[in-house]
Amino acid sequence: MSSDAADVQRVLNGDVDAFSRLVDRYYERCARFAVRMLGNRDDAEDALQATFLRAYRSLGKYQERDKFSAWLYRILVNQCRSLAARRNQRDRVFVREEALLLNAPDRSPSWTGEDEEFVQRVLAELDPLLREAFLLKYVEEMSYEEMSTLTGVGVSALKMRVKRACDRLRARWERIKDD
Amino acid sequence: MTEDDINSLDPDVQWIVAEARRPVTMDVAGRERLMEAVRAEAQPGRGALEWMFSRRTFEIPPFAAAALAAGLVGIGVVSGLLFHRDGQQADRPRAEVAEIPQLPGSIAPRAVKFVLIAPQAARVSVVGDFNGWDVSADPMTTQGADGTWTIFVPMQPGLHTYSFVVDGTHFMPDPAAPMAPDDGYGHKSSVVLVGGSSL
Repeated sequence: MSSDAADVQRVLNGDVDAFSRLVDRYYERCARFAVRMLGNRDDAEDALQATFLRAYRSLGKYQERDKFSAWLYRILVNQCRSLAARRNQRDRVFVREEALLLNAPDRSPSWTGEDEEFVQRVLAELDPLLREAFLLKYVEEMSYEEMSTLTGVGVSALKMRVKRACDRLRARWERIKDD
Repeated sequence: MTEDDINSLDPDVQWIVAEARRPVTMDVAGRERLMEAVRAEAQPGRGALEWMFSRRTFEIPPFAAAALAAGLVGIGVVSGLLFHRDGQQADRPRAEVAEIPQLPGSIAPRAVKFVLIAPQAARVSVVGDFNGWDVSADPMTTQGADGTWTIFVPMQPGLHTYSFVVDGTHFMPDPAAPMAPDDGYGHKSSVVLVGGSSL
């Protein structure tokens, strides 16, 4: 039995601290995906909270034959999708307020420099489907088969999304050089 | 070197990948808030309402369920329509949603019946904000050869967005329900109001 599966069993037997170990094991990796996918830490934290809480509530359904990380990631990806969809709706409603904030400085204490900000911006310019596929492939280093299982999308469609994402990122970079 | 190898990427894209792989720093209080929320939860799989959320609880024969919905509730039935919202005649599957109260009180979860007629489909599931848009969470079942797929899903009262997923990849909105705003992923979805008087 893997350490993940053992901790899941401990949680189901009433040991909540075992879930803390699962959180410690996967929080940072999930946080990276959520931040890259959603573009800011506030939304990413919401996604993480929702992901781990949903995982906790659903632990009874977790099948040991599945990798816990893949099971958790499927929840995370879906939570990011739901949150992004809600954010799109919210952004349409509060477009005027957002316009006022466009020039406001980022006061997040965890901002680490221009490179991160630049990467976030070019990723944010990608269509969400392309961004998701690109991040799963090259940042989370999943195989196309793993991505297909996780998203329910066929391998060939995922390869196309990743290729388009790379093409658009390269084109964006070229425009920046020209500027 | 394979097509998947990062070294096969354009150097500029490689740089973006390298930067995106860097760990992100999150507010440490966020993890503490998470564990506080977890400790406030009931033990997973041992909750008092677990029976309500067990899928087998809702394995009710379709006709019996429909009669129950009509006889006990008489509300919340949105019939499958022969016409789309744009007025074109439907030549694709139609769907209906019925809801059945399981407990008294306005906050009690409801069992919502989703129905999709899709004779050509090999498998169908319903996804939405209630199951994290997880394609594998709520697979629908079909009986007979008429291609009627059904499932009962326990849902909290309120407005929910959902979609059907045919054969694992094809997202389709419910032609009998109002459309939800674009989710940004190219998936059109529908809206259902659970526990309300109308849509």
